[in-house]
Amino acid sequence: MSDKLKQIIDKQSEQQNLAIDHSDDIVQLVGFIIGEEEYAVPILTIQEIIKPIRWTRVPQTPAYVLGVFNLRGSVIPLIDLRLKFGLGAKKHNEETRFFVLKQGDEVAGFVIDRLTMAIRIKKSDIGPAPDTMAGDDSMIDGVGKQDDRILTILKVNKLLERDF
Amino acid sequence: MDEFQEILQDFLVESFELVEKLDEDLVELESNPEDLELLNGIFRVAHTVKGASSFLNFDVLTHLTHHMEDVLNKARHGELVITPDIMDVILESVDLMKTLLEKIRDTSEDSGIDVSACVARLDKVSGGTGEVQTPVSDAPMAQESVEEEELTEDEDEPDYENMDPDEIEAEIERLLQQRQEEDRAKREAKIAAGESVPAPPPSPDEVAQEQEEPKEEVEAESKPVPLTPTPAPAKKEEAVKSDVKAAAPAKRAPAAVEQTIRVDVKRLDHLMNLIGELVLAKNRLIKINDDVEERYEGEEFLEELNQVVSIVSLVTTDLQIAVMKTRMLPIGKVFNKFPRMIRDLSRELDKKIELVISGEETELDKSIVEEIGDPLVHIIRNSCDHGIEMPDERLAKGKPETGTISLKAYNEGNAIVIQIDDDGKGLDVEMLKNKSLEKGIITEKEADTMSDKEAFGLIFKPGFSTAAAVTNVSGRGVGMDVVKTNIEKLNGIIDIESELGVGTSLKLKIPLTLAIIQALLVGVQEEHYAIPLASVLETVRISRDEIYTVENRSVMRLRDEVLSLVHIGDIFEVERILDSSEHAYVVVLGLGASKLGLIVDSLVGQEEIVIKSLGDYLKGIEGVAGATIRGDGGVTLIVDVVALMQMAKGVKSTAMTDNSSQEQHSHEKTKADDYTVMIVDDSKTDRMIMRKALEPLGINLVEASDGQEALNILKQGEHNFDAMLIDIEMPRMDGYTLANEIKKYNRYKNLPLIAVTSRTGKSDRMRGVESGMVEYITKPYSGDYLSSVVQRNINFKSEFL
Repeated sequence: MSDKLKQIIDKQSEQQNLAIDHSDDIVQLVGFIIGEEEYAVPILTIQEIIKPIRWTRVPQTPAYVLGVFNLRGSVIPLIDLRLKFGLGAKKHNEETRFFVLKQGDEVAGFVIDRLTMAIRIKKSDIGPAPDTMAGDDSMIDGVGKQDDRILTILKVNKLLERDF
Repeated sequence: MDEFQEILQDFLVESFELVEKLDEDLVELESNPEDLELLNGIFRVAHTVKGASSFLNFDVLTHLTHHMEDVLNKARHGELVITPDIMDVILESVDLMKTLLEKIRDTSEDSGIDVSACVARLDKVSGGTGEVQTPVSDAPMAQESVEEEELTEDEDEPDYENMDPDEIEAEIERLLQQRQEEDRAKREAKIAAGESVPAPPPSPDEVAQEQEEPKEEVEAESKPVPLTPTPAPAKKEEAVKSDVKAAAPAKRAPAAVEQTIRVDVKRLDHLMNLIGELVLAKNRLIKINDDVEERYEGEEFLEELNQVVSIVSLVTTDLQIAVMKTRMLPIGKVFNKFPRMIRDLSRELDKKIELVISGEETELDKSIVEEIGDPLVHIIRNSCDHGIEMPDERLAKGKPETGTISLKAYNEGNAIVIQIDDDGKGLDVEMLKNKSLEKGIITEKEADTMSDKEAFGLIFKPGFSTAAAVTNVSGRGVGMDVVKTNIEKLNGIIDIESELGVGTSLKLKIPLTLAIIQALLVGVQEEHYAIPLASVLETVRISRDEIYTVENRSVMRLRDEVLSLVHIGDIFEVERILDSSEHAYVVVLGLGASKLGLIVDSLVGQEEIVIKSLGDYLKGIEGVAGATIRGDGGVTLIVDVVALMQMAKGVKSTAMTDNSSQEQHSHEKTKADDYTVMIVDDSKTDRMIMRKALEPLGINLVEASDGQEALNILKQGEHNFDAMLIDIEMPRMDGYTLANEIKKYNRYKNLPLIAVTSRTGKSDRMRGVESGMVEYITKPYSGDYLSSVVQRNINFKSEFL
């Protein structure tokens, strides 16, 4: 009898541990496509996601800085991630979105090809960036694996950092 | 009294703010003792509080801050390392300062708090013997020595000289009671006080007088026992106070609470932003209203809509003005405190100085009024101390005995100018250079190549001081540094003119508001830029052949001058796909003595714009001062004229080089697919029908789903279109607007535009013609008809079929 009881208790505590694991190590991300690959950023760094609107070109900037746009009275820089990642420019279409990311006082809009979905991923499923891309200068925070897909998780502070 | 109260209020508010900040800074300093910037900041706080309290006659506070300043000054010059022990003393003194300020707030005076112990410790830290009697500076102020005596001599009961006013009050009270008991017949307290007070040998009045004496307070001497001191000059406050308390306690109310609210400028800015948004929305509403009016003419609800729209727009405009007004204050609020300051300073310095104020009604933005006070105090103190000479010196030079400082404010264009002139000794360029060399601010080489103007600018360097000795008034070399930092914070410019022996003139040119400027909007290709109107001298329309090339630069003749030209497109890397007509506009920019002609494609107009920053990410883009949001919700960049003039020097002459040659090619048609026609329609079916009708011709067909897209295709310039079929009703940009836009480009002036629409009204046809349509096909139509109309318009040769 006591053996059985013990078993039950063990099972319960096991489940509890699992539950704790669950809540502790889950990272919430939002995935999006640029070119052929799927990328993701932490959900809390996203201020909003909007459909493309008109922007104004700013001179003396690299090609990937498209310019600035008006987001309810604030002037916000617009960066084309395709160009930044060395892919060719692509005409904006129905699926194109502006990702407005915010960290501290830094805000910028990023053009992405297509949104995928909000993703909950276990921390243990996130590996470090490949050695060749790791380091402080890298924009890659880590690589997440879920089911059969691979997500490149980007460092938002690097994205928002001016590098020209 | 009222004036004094007003100044006192300002002083208290400011001091509390400063002290609050000081606490934060000090704590940070402890962990970061090497930070010179921080030390300078803390030192300036002590300096400012000292300066203000000294002319308000808060001697104890002045005394304390003066010693704090000494310690901090040593630290600032690296003669002293801030250890935790020293920090304890400094923090203690800051606490004491706070207590004093609170005391002042409650009772309008700073006596009754003993600072000597703390001062002694401060002195010890700054390298003194620890004895407070040690003279603090080469030229200690008279009132200070009195103060020190007061604080250090042994407390002797009957010695009224050594009592602080609180004790004196107690003494008076005691004597009063004594007297009242002796003579009960006299019931009125006032009379009792008047008669009883002078009775004992060292009367409190004498004490009061003696306190005043070093400052030669004339009124105190002429009126030994003022009984009704209410309107007495504020300076006499302290002397008179002991009397007042005894005689009429009710009259000594604590500093009254002002009937205003201090609002964080950020909140006002936020309010301004919100109103800006509201104005944008209003503009759009009006535009929509116009459209609706056009489409549903005669409908009943239109009237109602019209009313609502006009009310909204009226209220919005009023609101905008109201908020702008809340931010505007007359500069008199700042100027008011100077007559008193000059009076006190002239006594302290034994000089004769007259202050002439004009233009005090000039209004400017609140945030500027608040920022401008400190710099002006420093400038005027400097003028008094270093500018105006001693009376005998002035007489010897043949100048009037009394020196004059004039303080003027006036509007100049979109800026306000505050001018401070003195007829003192002027700035000595050689002396300035030598002093700077001595202090290591400049190098020998720099001194040699320096112009007079640049040398005058030396007085704004941190650490620079021309005064031989450190006095209560100036000489520590922080003041003018504060001036420059504060004025630059306001985007202002300081201009110094000085003539040795004749006087110095300082001009502070400050923008009227920080946020809103008048700008000229110009267009280049599809882009718009805003140029601050203050830098625009004139605009002229010229034709291409008026532009000459001299040494690889474009120039033009403007009346008697030769004006160098630069195309805005070259500065801002604008791709010039569509070159405009034979004519161009030149915006003549002026900055100081230099001029530049900026060629633009079009002049859009003058507008009041709200300046927004581009944010950290795009900070410091050369030639761009910021951005603004226009009525249509788009962003327009603001040109930085100073930078633009620099950039223009590096631009080669491409101002108006013809690229018309490329326009000539491919006009010869040899086969059917040399022809290209664009179909613009929002309905896919309609596009399909048109395509079906035209495909048999074998010509190229390009489709666009609305006006905006069509325009973008045209702008890309990939195709040479021979005609366009345009639907009228489309989202984003309708057919009429599209036709109007297309006709703006020289290159497409002769492009046949064919309207294809179901609108059949006569007025619709009229509008079509007005906007430049050559044909008008109404739906439904037969494919053959469409085909024949297109063939006719593109001069299609039948042999290609």
